[in-house]
Amino acid sequence: MTEMQKLYLLVPLAPLAGAIIAGLFGKAIGRAGAHWVTILGVAVSFVASIFVYQDVAAGNVFNGTVYTWATSGDLKFEVGFLIDSLTTTMMLVVTFVSLMVHIYTIGYMHDDPGYQRFFSYISLFTFSMLMLVMSNNFLQLFFGWEAVGLVSYLLIGFWYTRPSAIFANLKAFLVNRVGDFGFLLGIGLIAAYTGSLNYADVFAQGQKLASTHVELFQGEPWTLVTVICICLFIGAMGKSAQVPLHVWLPDSMEGPTPISALIHAATMVTAGIFMVSRMSPLFELSDVALSFVMVIGAITALFMGFLGIIQNDIKRVVAYSTLSQLGYMTVALGASAYSVAIFHLMTHAFFKALLFLAAGSVIIGMHHDQDIRNMGGLRKYMPITWITSLVGSLALIGTPFLSGFYSKDSIIEAVALSHLPGAGFAHFAVLAGVFVTAFYSFRMYFLVFHGKERFHVHAGHGHDAHGHGQHGTPHESPRVVTVPLILLAIPSVVIGYLTVQPMLFGDFFEGAIVVSEQHPVMAELAHHFKGALAMGLHAFVTAPFWLALAGVALAWFFYLKRPELPQAIRAKFGLVYEILENKYYFDRINEVVFAGGARLVGRGLWKGGDQGLIDGIVVNGSAKVVYWVAQITRLFQSGYIYQYAFSMIIGVFVLLTFWFNRG
Amino acid sequence: MDFKTFVFYFLSAILLFAAVRVITARNPVHAVLYLVLSFFTAGGLWLLLHAEFLAIMLVLVYIGAVMVLFLFVVMMLDINLERLRQGFWSNLWVGLPVAVLMVAEMALVLTGRYFGAEALPTPPPQPADYSNTKELGRIIYTDYVYPFELASVILLVAIIAAVALTLRRRKDTKYTDPSKQIAVKRNERVRMVSMPAEKE
Amino acid sequence: MNFTIPDLYPASAEIFVLIMACVVLLVDLVAGKSRRWMAYFLTQLTLIGAFAITLFTMDGRTVLTFANGFIDDTFSDILKLVLYFSVAVVLIYGRSYMAERRLENGEFYLLVLFATLGMMVLISASHFLTLYLGLELMSLSLYAMVAINRDSAVCTEAAMKYFVLGALASGLLLYGISMIYGATGTLELPGVRQALYFNSANSKVLVFGLVFVVAGLAFKLGVVPFHMWIPDVYQGAPTAVTLFIGSAPKLAAFAMAIRLLVMGLFELAEQWQTMLMLLAVLSIALGNLAAIAQSNLKRMLAYSAISHMGFMLLGVLSGVVAGDPRYAVPAYSSAMFYAVSYVLMSLGAFGMILLLSRAGFEAENLEDFKGLNKRSPWFAFVMMILMFSMAGIPFFVGFFAKFAVLQAVVAAGHIWLAVFAVVLSLVGAFYYLRVVKLMYFDPPADTTPIRAPFDMRLLLSANGLAVALLGAMPQAILDYCAYAFIGGR
Repeated sequence: MTEMQKLYLLVPLAPLAGAIIAGLFGKAIGRAGAHWVTILGVAVSFVASIFVYQDVAAGNVFNGTVYTWATSGDLKFEVGFLIDSLTTTMMLVVTFVSLMVHIYTIGYMHDDPGYQRFFSYISLFTFSMLMLVMSNNFLQLFFGWEAVGLVSYLLIGFWYTRPSAIFANLKAFLVNRVGDFGFLLGIGLIAAYTGSLNYADVFAQGQKLASTHVELFQGEPWTLVTVICICLFIGAMGKSAQVPLHVWLPDSMEGPTPISALIHAATMVTAGIFMVSRMSPLFELSDVALSFVMVIGAITALFMGFLGIIQNDIKRVVAYSTLSQLGYMTVALGASAYSVAIFHLMTHAFFKALLFLAAGSVIIGMHHDQDIRNMGGLRKYMPITWITSLVGSLALIGTPFLSGFYSKDSIIEAVALSHLPGAGFAHFAVLAGVFVTAFYSFRMYFLVFHGKERFHVHAGHGHDAHGHGQHGTPHESPRVVTVPLILLAIPSVVIGYLTVQPMLFGDFFEGAIVVSEQHPVMAELAHHFKGALAMGLHAFVTAPFWLALAGVALAWFFYLKRPELPQAIRAKFGLVYEILENKYYFDRINEVVFAGGARLVGRGLWKGGDQGLIDGIVVNGSAKVVYWVAQITRLFQSGYIYQYAFSMIIGVFVLLTFWFNRG
Repeated sequence: MDFKTFVFYFLSAILLFAAVRVITARNPVHAVLYLVLSFFTAGGLWLLLHAEFLAIMLVLVYIGAVMVLFLFVVMMLDINLERLRQGFWSNLWVGLPVAVLMVAEMALVLTGRYFGAEALPTPPPQPADYSNTKELGRIIYTDYVYPFELASVILLVAIIAAVALTLRRRKDTKYTDPSKQIAVKRNERVRMVSMPAEKE
Repeated sequence: MNFTIPDLYPASAEIFVLIMACVVLLVDLVAGKSRRWMAYFLTQLTLIGAFAITLFTMDGRTVLTFANGFIDDTFSDILKLVLYFSVAVVLIYGRSYMAERRLENGEFYLLVLFATLGMMVLISASHFLTLYLGLELMSLSLYAMVAINRDSAVCTEAAMKYFVLGALASGLLLYGISMIYGATGTLELPGVRQALYFNSANSKVLVFGLVFVVAGLAFKLGVVPFHMWIPDVYQGAPTAVTLFIGSAPKLAAFAMAIRLLVMGLFELAEQWQTMLMLLAVLSIALGNLAAIAQSNLKRMLAYSAISHMGFMLLGVLSGVVAGDPRYAVPAYSSAMFYAVSYVLMSLGAFGMILLLSRAGFEAENLEDFKGLNKRSPWFAFVMMILMFSMAGIPFFVGFFAKFAVLQAVVAAGHIWLAVFAVVLSLVGAFYYLRVVKLMYFDPPADTTPIRAPFDMRLLLSANGLAVALLGAMPQAILDYCAYAFIGGR
C-alpha cells in the first residue's frame, strides 16, 4: 500500500472513528469530548482530501481494490477506491461542508440531551457519504447509498418524541425505498449482463449493453442501456428528490437544522446527481434516458419553485428552493453537461448550506419560532446572519459574479444548446425558474430581515413546539454559529468565479466524465466562453439577469412596499393558491392511490394470506409442530440410559436396513 | 470332522451357553461366575488359533484380576436383580423385533461367503520354535509404539480420573499425624500461668 | 531385529503436550492447594508452546510417521491451531467459575490437557487404531470432567450417561472398523482407500462396517438419533465443562469425520453421503424445533449444537457428485469453516453464561438473561452479536458459514436440502432472537452487578467482536480452510 492509498483510507476512516467513539463512548467522553473528537475526525478528513486533491490535480488517478470481501462464482464483492477529479471535488465539498456543520452544531444543539448521539450520526454520515463518492464499484456505491439513507432516516427522526418527526422519517424511508428498488434493479441488470460490479469493467462493456435489446412491452425493443440508466435514475430520483419522489424532502425539515444543511441540501441529496455523472459513460449511450432525465429535472426545477412562494416556514422555503435547484442540476445532466451539474452541485452546496445555517441561526435568534410571518426587521438584531443571508440569496438567484450565477447560467445555456426531445420545455422551465427563484428567495429575505418587527405582536401566543412563550428580543447567535456562516459565505461569493474556467472548460474532468460526440453541448458552450469576467459582464444583457431582477423587484413590491397585496391576490386566485397549498396534491395522491391501494392489498393479504394461510397454517401449524416435536422429544428424552441406547440401536438399524441393498 | 474342529465347536457351545446364562442367571454371583466361564472358553479358542500369549493374558488378567475384583464388588453391593429386570417384559415387544431383524441382517452379511475359510488366505505355517510372545513384543515396541504409548496415556488418565473422582478427605475420621506429633513444641502442650498466691 | 527410531519431528507438539501434562501433574502435587495458579499457568503455557511448535513446524508438506500411524498435514496443523486457541479460551472463561465452586483442582487442568492431547491424536490419525485411541483418550478425560463435581447428583448422572453411551458408541465404531479391516485387510487409512480403489468385491461387508463407523462418528458429533446424551450432558455438567465439551471436541469430531470418511472410505462416498444426509436432515429438524421448547439456556444451546452439527454435515456430504470429486475441496472447506465458526460462537455463548454465573448461582435459565441490557449494555450487545450470528443473520460470521455450506449443497444439486435447511434455520432464529428480546425488552429479574476477572471480560468482548468482524472477511477464512485441504496434496 502506498502512502497515497493510506491517505485515501484515512479520508473515510477518520470520521468513522469519530462516529464510533462519540457513539459508543459518548457518556464517557462527555459533550465536549464528543464534539472535539468528531470535529477532529472530519478536519483530518478535510485536510487529507486537500492533499488527495492536489495529488489528483498533478495527474495521479487511482482505481484499485483495497479489500476483497467475498467471491461468489465470478462475481467479486470488493471495497475499492476510484480517485479522480470528480471524486476529489465531491470529497472536498463533503468534508468542508461537514466540517462547517460540525462546528455550527456545537451552538445549535447546545442544550439538546442527544448531543453526543447527534455528533456520532453526522460523523457516520460523513463516512458513508465519502464511501459513496470514493467507490469504484456498484456494491460499495449501494452500501454508501443505503448508509446515507439510514443516517438520514435516523436524523430526520432525531427528535423521536415528536410525532411529526416520526412521520417524516417514515415517509423519507418509504419514498426512498421506491427509488432504491429501481436502483437495485439497475445494479442487478448490470451484474447480470456484464458479470462485474466494477465501474471500469462495466463501462468497457457499454457498447455491448447499447446493442443489446430487451422487450419490456410486446413489440417494443429497448436498448438494455436505456433500461439500466432509467432504473439507476429512478434511484437518483429518490435520493435527489425529483418529482414524483420528492415528497419526503420538505417533510425532512423536521430534523435539526444542521442536518437539513448537511444532508438535505449540500451532500446526500446530491448523491443522485453525482451518481448520474459517474455513470456518464452509460447515460451517454441512451438518448431516451437523457431526455427522461432532462424532463424530470425541468418539472422539478419549475414546479417546486412555485411551492416555495407560498411557504411560511423558513426552513420549508429553503427546502423547496433546494428541490428546485436539484431540478436544475438534473436538467444539466439530461443535457449532457455533467460537469456543469457537478459545478452547480458544488456552488449550491456552499450557498445552500449557508442559507440553511443562516435559517438555523434565525431560528435560534427567534427562540425556535420558524414562521417567517412572525419575523421581520431582524437586520438590526442579527447583523452577521443578515449579511450572510443576503450573500447566500444573491448567490442563489444568480447575481453576476457570485458563484450561483456561473453555474446556473451555464445550465441555462447548456439546455438551450441541447437538441434532445424535451429540451425546449426544459429551457423554458429553467428560465421561468430564475424568476421564481428570485421571487421566493427575496420574499423570504424581506419578510425575515426587513419590514416591520412582527415578533412582538405574537409574543403572547407561544404556539410553536419550542417557544413556550419566551419570545423576547431576537439576538445574534454565538460565534460557533456565525463563524461557519462567514466561512461558507466566502466560497459562495468567489468559488464560481475562480473555478468556472477549469471545471467547465478546462480538462479537469477529463477521464472522469465522458461526453459522446452526439451531444456536443459542452463543446459549443466552450466556444461561447470568453472567461469568467466576460461571462459576468455579458450577463447584464441576457434574459436570466433581468428575470431575476424582476423577481426581486416584485418581491420588494409585494412584501415591503404593499404588504396587503399578497393577501388580495390570494383571495383572487383561490384555486391556484389551493393547488399550491396542497403541493399539487402529491401527498393526497400518494395517500389515496398508493397508500390506499397498499392498504387495500394489505388488508386482502392480511385477511386471506396472513390470518388464513400464515396464522392459520404456518404459524399455528408450526406452533403445533413445535409442540408436537417437543412432546415426542420429551418422550424419548426420558433420562433413562436404556432408552437412549435403544435410540442409537434403532439408528444403526435404520441405516443398516436402508443401505443394506446398496452395497 | 477332525479333532480340532470338534474342540472348536465344543468350546463355542460352552461359550454361548455361558454368555446366555450371564444375562439370565437370577443370582448375580452366578452371573459373574458364568462370565468367568465364558472368558475361560474364549481363552481356549485363542489357543486353537495358536495365540497362546493372548489366551494366557485373558486368563491371567481378566479372570485372575478383573473378575475376582468384580466378584467382590458384586458380593458387597447386594444387587437386587429383580428390580433391575422390572422393565424387561414391558420393553421386550419393542426390543425383540428390532433385535431379531438386526440379527437377521447381520447373519446375511457375516456368512461364509465373505468370512469363510475360502475367503481368507490360510496363514503360513510357522516353525516349531516360533514364539508368539516375541513376535507380539517386537511389533508392539516397533511399529505400534505410538498406539502403545497412547494406551499407556489412557491408563494414566484413568488413574487420574479415578483419583479425582473418588479420593476424598473425610472430615469425621480421627487419625493421628506422626509428623505433627513429632514437631510439637513445648509451649503448645504446657501453658505457664502466673497467678497471684491465694491466701487462706 | 532391526528397529529404526521413528521420525519424531512431525509429532513434536503431541510430545510436548504429553511431557507438559506430566510436569503439571508433578508440579500440582508439590504445589498444593494454595498454589493452584501454577497448574493453570503451566497449562496455558503448554497451549501456547504447542501453538508455537505447530505454527513453526507447519511447512505445507504431508508427512507420515510412526509406521503410518500419524499424519502431519496442513489440515491437521490448522485444526490444531484452532484447537489450542479454543482450549485456552475455555480455560480463561472457566477458571473463575471452577474456582468459585471449589472445583479448580489440578486434575481439572490435567484432564483438559489430556483431552487436548487426545484430540490432537485424533486430528492427526492416519490409522484406525490411533484414531480410536485418540478418541478414547479424549472421551475418557471428558467423562471424568463431566463428573468432576462429584457431590452433585446431576453431574454424576450426566457423566454416567455419557460414559455408558460413549462406550456403546465406541463399541459400534470398533465393530465397524473390524468389518472394514476384514474386507480390506489393512488398518491404515490411506491403505484402506487404496484397497477400496482397486477392489470393490466385498462391498456388502464394507457397507455393513460403514454403517457402524458412521454410527460411532454420529455419536461423537451428536447428530440425531445419536444425540440423546447431548442435552443431558450439556445441562448436567458444570458450565465450564459444558463450554469445553461444546467447543473443542466438535473440531475433533469434524477431523474424525474427514479422516474416516474422506481419507479412508472416500470410495464409498455415495453410500455415506446419503447416510449423512438422513442424519443431517433429522438433526436440523429436531435440533431447531426442540430448542424452541427449552427454558434452560444450556439445554437450548445443546439442541442448537445438534442442529449446527447437522448443518456442518451438509458440507461434508456434498463433496462428491455422481462419482465426480470436483466439488470436494470447496465442500469440505465449507464444513471446516462451519465447524470453526461454530466453535467461536459456542465459546462466546457459554462464556456469557459463565460471566453471569457466580458462586452459588448458575445463570443457565433464559430468565436470567432478562434485562441484561440494563445491567450491562456492552455484554448484552456481545450476546446479541453471538445470537445473531448463531441464527445466521447477515453479516456475522455465522451467516457466511451457513452460506458457504448451503452453496456447497446447491452445487451438489440438492436444492431441496438447501431449502429445507434454510426454512428450519429460520424457525431456529426464533429461539435465538428470543434471548435478544429478553435481554433488551424485559425488565431485569436480578440486578446483581456483573463481576468477572478482567482477562475474561476482555476476551469475551474480543470473542463477540471477532464473530462480528470475521463476517467482514469470510473469504479469507474460506481460503484458509481450502488451503487446509489443498495444501498437503
